[in-house]
Amino acid sequence: MEKQKLFYGRRERKITEFLFLVPTVLAFLLVIIVPFIIGIYYSFTDWDGVNAAKNVVGLANYRAIFTEPGFLHAFLTTVLFTLFNVIAVNVAAFLMALLVTSNVKGRNLYRAGFFVPNLIGGIVLGSIWQFIFSSILPAVGKALGWGWLSASLITNPKTVVGAMVTVNTWQYAGYIMMIYVASIQGISQQVMEAASVDGATYWTRVFKILMPLMANAFTISLFLTLTNSFKMYDVNLALTNGGPTTLFMGKPVQASELLALNIYNTAFKYSKMALGQAKAVIFFVVLVVVSLVQVSINKSKEVEM
Amino acid sequence: MKKILVLVLALVMALSAVSALADITIVQNKVEIDAALQEYAAEFSKDAGYNVKVITAGGSSDYNTALKAEFASGKEPDIFVIEGPTGYELYKDKIADMTGEEWTQYTAAAYMDGDKVVGFPVAVEGYGMAYNKDILDKAGIDPATLTNVDAYQAAFEKLDSMKEELGLDAVVSMVAGTAPGMTWVTGLHNFNIYLTVGLDRNDTSIIDQVLEGKVDEDRFHAYCEYVALIFKYSDPEMLINGTQDMQLAAFANGKTAFYHQGNWMDPNIVALNVNFPMAYAPHAFLHEDTDGILVNAPSWYVVNENAGNAEQAIDFLNALADTEAGHDYMVNKAAMVPAFTNVTIEPATPLSKSVMEWNAAGKTYSWQQYKLPDGFGMGTLGPIYEMLASGAIDEPTFEQMMKDAIATIPTL
Repeated sequence: MEKQKLFYGRRERKITEFLFLVPTVLAFLLVIIVPFIIGIYYSFTDWDGVNAAKNVVGLANYRAIFTEPGFLHAFLTTVLFTLFNVIAVNVAAFLMALLVTSNVKGRNLYRAGFFVPNLIGGIVLGSIWQFIFSSILPAVGKALGWGWLSASLITNPKTVVGAMVTVNTWQYAGYIMMIYVASIQGISQQVMEAASVDGATYWTRVFKILMPLMANAFTISLFLTLTNSFKMYDVNLALTNGGPTTLFMGKPVQASELLALNIYNTAFKYSKMALGQAKAVIFFVVLVVVSLVQVSINKSKEVEM
Repeated sequence: MKKILVLVLALVMALSAVSALADITIVQNKVEIDAALQEYAAEFSKDAGYNVKVITAGGSSDYNTALKAEFASGKEPDIFVIEGPTGYELYKDKIADMTGEEWTQYTAAAYMDGDKVVGFPVAVEGYGMAYNKDILDKAGIDPATLTNVDAYQAAFEKLDSMKEELGLDAVVSMVAGTAPGMTWVTGLHNFNIYLTVGLDRNDTSIIDQVLEGKVDEDRFHAYCEYVALIFKYSDPEMLINGTQDMQLAAFANGKTAFYHQGNWMDPNIVALNVNFPMAYAPHAFLHEDTDGILVNAPSWYVVNENAGNAEQAIDFLNALADTEAGHDYMVNKAAMVPAFTNVTIEPATPLSKSVMEWNAAGKTYSWQQYKLPDGFGMGTLGPIYEMLASGAIDEPTFEQMMKDAIATIPTL
């Protein structure tokens, strides 16, 4: 028999590397890629999600989607929610990051405090805020005689998206704040001091020096908030469950039902798995396009030190 | 070695054959009655000369999986539970025909396949317009007169005008909100009023029509007016914002005279120490009298012919329906409302007691809302009720939108 080699050759090393990759690749294939491809196939059928019977129906599901008021409304609501949410979360997170990196007293306490809501699960958080919106705030509003607050904000179709943005900002801004904090701390103090010696005010320093130097943090934060808002499901489910009802294109639709909830309800509540899959495919394409555009715009603004 | 194995196998088979002769097995899904049923079965076995074994698998999906496993194991259960047409269709070929058996004469809630009686109702659940008798007495309203919509209209108006005097926030405690997840109250239970009130229990004409996308114009118009009437005399905030707990609290604290919920709320009513007398009045939405509440069995025991002990299994069910011990088990031990008219033991809880009285009097209408397509009642009709409740649409628009929604059923 040949003597055992101490060092493996190039070929063997390649095989070893490949073997180490197998568990991860296999898991990725089985739980992401395969279901994804099967899902695309289902979107061309009329499968109900339970019975084995399914027929290929071509593009019928995709055609149905674009005439369905519920889906179109969910799509527009999601875009609106995402727009407000991205702005609200990032503005709040950036201001909190400035606060906790300044010399203010108790900044470590703030840092922990702002982050804590992020540790609460979305379903729990949604239920807590539902109670706040439906019982506590109206009571406060009535006591103070503020008409706009004395009725629940989550049962009014006009204010419900704002209420969801509030809850999501409360939850998510602390997490994004941490990214900004890390980025701010990575910027050399000398640059800021030099600017202040040159007579730049605090806000000038923030806008002209801090923000351009933090561009990579904005790329990642905007990406995270954008995709997170688009995919919002748990808080939506627990806080409003899609309600209240409003009229859209002459049909009753759910005023706060976002895309993910709409897809879930289509597939599981109405047992229209194939239609839900078709919606999910559209959802995927839109999300990929939007995030690619966002990342490429942000990337072009990043500067190297 | 091989010989021993064969011997052991033969022994096991012989034993199981013996036990199969001596035992009947019940596979059931109500975890909350497991202990009571085990105890009853053990008592029953003492006198019966055969053993009754109870296997409980909780939760709907767990139960269905467990039941399939029991069948697959080759030792099929003698009695098992079906929860409706889906379960029945699946096991149809094995299920025994119990037409003419002793228990069938005492109930109207058996599971029927055409004229064949196939399912023994485990219990019944019911709902109507629950009322606070003290408040109605003070207002001088006799609940026995609430058998048509005109009587309701008059009663609501009277109570509404006496709100301050009676300490009421609203006349009816009703919920319709999507956010608190209450659309089952409107889209399923309330909608079923249209489907069955005033009809014979076996009359499926209205639901059949709805499933074809059509409505009976006059009846539907009367129904929509009834919905609008209830909403008009409900607390608008409660309608869209109220949870099940808030809805109950308003009624239990004497802040409303009526309460639109079923007898499954009894444990919560007991927990709140409610001490006023209450009972159900009919959901009478027509101008003609309809004197009955909506009662149905949520599940049924069926007997498996294939297991070979059908006779003993049917004896067990007969005893349940026709002996003191069986009645005591159902009412006192398992805290259920029996579906049988010959039961004289009264439940201790107020709404169940009322359901039992209506049932014993034979004044009940059936539940047909579960024949609606998946998600239709709660997801499609529910939001339309909510808009009427919030004032976003008026009654004629509500009626039209409901009709439009029903018209889409054949395409679902």
